Amino acid sequence: MTRRRVLAAAAALALVLPLVAGAQEPYPSRPITLVAPFPPGGVADLTARPVAAAMEKVLKNPVAVVNKTGAAGAVGMQFVATSKPDGYTLLLALSSISIIPEADKIFGRPPAFTVDQFAPIALISADPTILVVRTESPWKTAREFLDDARKRSGQISYSSSGIYGTLHMAMELLSHAAGVKLRHIPTAGAGPALTALLGGHVDALASGPAVILPHIKAGKLRALAGWGDKRVAALPEVPTFKELGYPEAEFYIWAGVFAPKGTPEPVLAKLRETTRAAVGDAEFKSAMDKLETPITFKQGDEFQRFFDTDARRLTEGVRKVGRVEDKK
Amino acid sequence: MLETLGNLGLGFSVALSPPILFYAFVGCLVGTLVGVLPGVGPLAGISLLLPATFGLDATRAIVMLAGIYYGAMYGGSTTSILMRIPGEAASVMTCIDGYAMARKGRGGAALAIAGVGSYIAGTVSVIGLMLLAPPLAAFALRFGPPEYLALLLLGLLVLAYMRSGSMVKSLAMAAFGLLLGMVGIDQMSGYFRFAYGVVELGDGLGVVPVAVGLFGVAEILATAGQLAPPSVIRPKLRELLPSRQEWRESAAPIGRGTVLGFLIGILPGSAHIISSFVSYAVEKRLSKHREQFGHGAVAGVAGPESANNAAASGAMVPMLALGVPSGPIPAVMLAALMVHGVSPGPLLIQQQPALFWGFIASMYVGNVVLLILNLPLVGLFVNILRVPYPYLYPAILVFSILGVYAVNGSVVDVWIMVIMGVLGWLLRKLDFETAPIVLGVVLAPMIELSLRQSLAMSDGRYGIFVQRPIAAVLLAVGVTLVLLNLYSFARRGSDWRTRIALAEKGEESP
Amino acid sequence: MRTERVSGVALALLAAAVLEECWRLRLPLGTLANPGPAYMPALLAAALLVSGVLIVALGRDAATLGAAGWAEWRHTAAILGACAFVALALERLGYRLTMALACAFLLSVVERKGLVPTALFAAGMAAGTHYLFDTVLRVQLPRGLFGF
Repeated sequence: MTRRRVLAAAAALALVLPLVAGAQEPYPSRPITLVAPFPPGGVADLTARPVAAAMEKVLKNPVAVVNKTGAAGAVGMQFVATSKPDGYTLLLALSSISIIPEADKIFGRPPAFTVDQFAPIALISADPTILVVRTESPWKTAREFLDDARKRSGQISYSSSGIYGTLHMAMELLSHAAGVKLRHIPTAGAGPALTALLGGHVDALASGPAVILPHIKAGKLRALAGWGDKRVAALPEVPTFKELGYPEAEFYIWAGVFAPKGTPEPVLAKLRETTRAAVGDAEFKSAMDKLETPITFKQGDEFQRFFDTDARRLTEGVRKVGRVEDKK
Repeated sequence: MLETLGNLGLGFSVALSPPILFYAFVGCLVGTLVGVLPGVGPLAGISLLLPATFGLDATRAIVMLAGIYYGAMYGGSTTSILMRIPGEAASVMTCIDGYAMARKGRGGAALAIAGVGSYIAGTVSVIGLMLLAPPLAAFALRFGPPEYLALLLLGLLVLAYMRSGSMVKSLAMAAFGLLLGMVGIDQMSGYFRFAYGVVELGDGLGVVPVAVGLFGVAEILATAGQLAPPSVIRPKLRELLPSRQEWRESAAPIGRGTVLGFLIGILPGSAHIISSFVSYAVEKRLSKHREQFGHGAVAGVAGPESANNAAASGAMVPMLALGVPSGPIPAVMLAALMVHGVSPGPLLIQQQPALFWGFIASMYVGNVVLLILNLPLVGLFVNILRVPYPYLYPAILVFSILGVYAVNGSVVDVWIMVIMGVLGWLLRKLDFETAPIVLGVVLAPMIELSLRQSLAMSDGRYGIFVQRPIAAVLLAVGVTLVLLNLYSFARRGSDWRTRIALAEKGEESP
Repeated sequence: MRTERVSGVALALLAAAVLEECWRLRLPLGTLANPGPAYMPALLAAALLVSGVLIVALGRDAATLGAAGWAEWRHTAAILGACAFVALALERLGYRLTMALACAFLLSVVERKGLVPTALFAAGMAAGTHYLFDTVLRVQLPRGLFGF
């Protein structure tokens, strides 16, 4: 009897001890997972890998990128939103994090996740989109384009990576700001959207700068204007819509690191420190240079403000788009 | 021409240098492995190894990734032929006749023909890539939504040629497959269709779980419980190689498969699986022994296998010539280039001749390497069939589940595979064909999207399909084919009721 | 109960289910010039319905359901059970444990092989494939409760 009790106690202790020990382990003591909600080769993925590598260097602890793809990022984002807030599962999110819950709302679906299920850590990059047309098109400036769009309402077409996607929302913001009506042709991704423009099947496209720069240099595409606050460094002659008098047409394809809400404050603080150090890393900088993505680092209140403004713009934009089928 | 040879010389000097050769070899090896594993296809393989390439320079990275890509096309035929499990989605057609050949003891021959066909297709299409990349790419760009729709409708006609039994049943399966393809987010309106709240279904069911389930799992479910387990085939060495007759039968299909596969591969957005389906249908149509199809026709292996290898090279055309990804796999390769600071674009060929020509040369080398790798392995692989079935099928199940899970890391995919497995088993009992379902799942989203995009472009006017030359030509071809079939159908002159009954019983083929 | 009747009815029911789902989600049908998300599903459901009816009508002298040969259904059910178990347990028990259990079940219970071959096979399969994928190919396989 006594022996059995001793064994039982020992067993109980053996089970409890690791838990107790675990609770007092310093963070981080296990590999961290950075979830990239897009397929390999996409913007989120290409940004996530240098970030993970830099964070790994700073933390001296493995940080692995895991792709959880599906539903324009909803699968990966939902995964992190519902995972344990212990700081070992992080998300590299794009601006679509604000769009998806709003889109769910207007369709009356229970949202896959909500924005307040996340605690923001840092903004890594914020690329403004650029309006491009083919060089053979008649419009040489953004003004000509918009004037023509006003004259021939609903005739000028543009492609996008999918409905309510980043490339679509950028154009929608412009349409509302400039009071024009354009024809939207969704495609199955950013690649097909570019192909559609190059092939002459649509007239215009809002795209992140990195993808179209080679085509602009090769003389196939012409950049008319940008959605940013400032001009893009690689395209200094391209004005911003703000300069042209449409300040509400501001849109960035940004990437930021988030943790699930409820992650303990000391862990969050450590992560913030880490990301700050990570973006200063030389290898990280050179990796981002190669991707032609300038680093825009924001944290804490600054990031919160940026995120809130962006989220408000996007949710309003999505609401104005509404359900396209209802408008037909 | 001289310039091309000179450039090729430059390319070979790059490709044959030991480090590049090494990475090409590694890529081919990994690609074959990835292709052999059920479900895990080239996209999964490339995505998995993409991070490993970040530390290499651009040429090595892209050479390795390309090796994985066409290596997977070689390897995919192995499990398809030996165990009726598609190694990747594009090998579904090989399952049909390849497995039938294996059952007849001609598995080795099938593997060899697949290997040689893949080699010829790969090499010839690399020549095409080398000589014709820019003009072909410019042509491919002119394929917009209306052209796609016309092409895909032609692809639907292919379904009509795939039936080996009742026409109504095949059409029902095609409709079912097309419906399955509609699960997920509707790209044009944003509605979630038939997803029942499961977020993972947002991008659709996925052709990999469906194909592995319908073919692989269903096969196991049907065979494992048989009172007489499948006889263990012990092939002799002589029988491993194809006979002269079999070589002769495979020559023309290889040629046709190469051309077809290459042309379909260059079109942005088309899938390899379409190239193998179309090749199968063409071979069946042109064959003088049509009844052999489904029971071990050599052409049914040679054509599709060549087609999917040629499509792999064809997919590189828009990527290299224009910097435009023609599908998810070239997109990953483009990303690999971008990470290394090479901006892919229309000027890639001029700006980075060493990269481009080195890449082309490495593809030649890679195809040779793969042929050398695969042919002796035929003997090894065929021996897998010797393993007693009670041990073999749990292993196959493990690999299938693993492969399907590995693609997205999602258990939902495993469930889809299991459900499709049950369905495939039931459909076999009820005498339905399952191949049209897979084709439907692939085609449905593309057809619907192209149709609605075209109508959005033309503001609702159907005239757009005849106003654009390429689309009009393709539609005309389709209409002609349909009319020809109806004509020969009617010419037999019997009572229409008898015709349908006869067609029902599978005794007719127009 | 003839096979064709069963299949035909099943197809018709499927068509009805599709239409019901479109209705429940209130998917807009759109017009011919502007098809909505329900357009093609509705068309295909109609095609399924028609084919279901045709199959029933033309299959009057089909074989009975029993004649299709269901002798192996117990075996099939067991295999399916194992697969369902794997799907359920994969992320909870972890990859290696789940696979080992599933293989052991298939070999010992279903195929009635001895204890030693079962144990060897199950352990070997689970560990071997885990090594291949997790270490060599670097696919993240789930680690469950016990670290397996």
